[in-house]
Amino acid sequence: MDANLWVSGVVYGLSMGSIFFLLAAGLSLCFGLMRIISLDQLLYYSLGAYVAYQVNVATGLTWPAMVCGALAAGALSWVVERWVFDRIYAREITFTMITSFGILVAGVGAIKYVWGLVPRPMGIPVEAQVALLGVNVPVYRIIVIGVALAVYGLIQWVLNRTIVGTAIRAAVEDVDQVEGLGVDVYRLFTGTFVGAGMLSGLAGALHGPLVMVDPQMGLEVVPFVFMVVIIGGLGSLKGTLVSAFLVGQVVSLGSLIYAPLAQMAPFAAMLLILLWKPTGLYGSALLRR
Amino acid sequence: MSHHHGALSVEGLHVAYGEAQVLFDVHLTVPPGGLVACVGRNGAGKTTLLRTIAGFLRPRAGQVRYGDVDLVGRKPYELARMGIRYVQQDKRVFADLTVRENLRLASSATGDWDWDAVFRYFPRLKALLDRKGGYLSGGERQMLMIGRALLGRPKVLLVDEPTEGLAPAVVEQLGGVFQELKGQATILLVEQNLPLVGRVADKVYAVKEGRVVAEITDREAIRSAAVEAYL
Repeated sequence: MDANLWVSGVVYGLSMGSIFFLLAAGLSLCFGLMRIISLDQLLYYSLGAYVAYQVNVATGLTWPAMVCGALAAGALSWVVERWVFDRIYAREITFTMITSFGILVAGVGAIKYVWGLVPRPMGIPVEAQVALLGVNVPVYRIIVIGVALAVYGLIQWVLNRTIVGTAIRAAVEDVDQVEGLGVDVYRLFTGTFVGAGMLSGLAGALHGPLVMVDPQMGLEVVPFVFMVVIIGGLGSLKGTLVSAFLVGQVVSLGSLIYAPLAQMAPFAAMLLILLWKPTGLYGSALLRR
Repeated sequence: MSHHHGALSVEGLHVAYGEAQVLFDVHLTVPPGGLVACVGRNGAGKTTLLRTIAGFLRPRAGQVRYGDVDLVGRKPYELARMGIRYVQQDKRVFADLTVRENLRLASSATGDWDWDAVFRYFPRLKALLDRKGGYLSGGERQMLMIGRALLGRPKVLLVDEPTEGLAPAVVEQLGGVFQELKGQATILLVEQNLPLVGRVADKVYAVKEGRVVAEITDREAIRSAAVEAYL
């Protein structure tokens, strides 16, 4: 196969993996800390994309539009956390998962009501291309990869260098113990949930120019995001990053080899990895909760 | 450490997990600055009692008071900030956090950064600051748990089976620490080690099948482990 195709395939896979990472990182943190499977994150992803699209159409600006998308997603996630999740954290995980799925479906319905069913094209902030190993690749895709890496670095810094991060890491292990030390864990939950919502919104806003903004876009990425979280190992941020890039590559390079592989190959990869490491690539045996 | 104390009192406490009632009409009092022990077999409801006082469980009926302050209905972190500190059983420290991070977390929640007070009781911790909780011995973990709870100048310490599975020398050391802490905090200790209880407790409650079956205040009876007859 043409080497040029491989280079652009790898870049394509990395940029898609970056979007998966931004989504899965929030999902993984929410599971680790609050023990909820927050499917509604996919709604914040869609909302982030739509708000970015709308602001972009209204103002012609792209980067500020994306910031607006992330902020709007954060605001909605705050409302949902305060009104819904705060009342049901103590329930079974299946209960919160079904509730979050209900929020996702209702939210997608609201998006269809406001923006209609037709996919909308969103302007791309950077149209330039840059030569990489002799192949022209879109600068915007490289920026998306850079944003994901920067977010990874930022989360790692918060988790390992700040007291809030210490509290989060501790609460992932044992939330009762953290509360027993006098930490208001509910504020920690709210902050983490809103942070996750903003990351999801950012993912949607960044993804907008690469795909059409579409009411179903949140539902379409559900299997990939789950795969990323599971392959990476629940609760491991590093695992989530590695697995997001891995799934991105499997989809991208798989489709180069044989188009139907794009849909099927990630599942095969997940099965193989789980056979080899049942806790995922970086799943910690220390996490017994 | 604070010297303003009230008594910890529990009156008519009924606690249930769903349909299963675990505590029935429990009454007990820990005098200001005193150390009272709760003894009883596994499953008698001792841990449930401490978890209820610490705010992790809501009683079906009854009162928990510190001095004049009603403690029922407050969240565990609010109680912890009020100085009602709970040292859980099973020596659960954060495995992935270093000793330093464990202490830092407790300090930031309580605003008390005077770690020397902790090291005075547990000098060993000073040498272990950069070790992760998961790599500490059982005794070291227990020292860290009690040390953490001392930050924020606790008014009440609720300590759940601190010596379970520890070497005799460490049990001996903890006994000394409890004796020193008496008078500085009001302590309710759940413990199965009767010689230790005999050494440090002013009063003992025997708990059986969710009920207080005996209240022993006679020092001689406590010291001679006569309480065993009630278990």
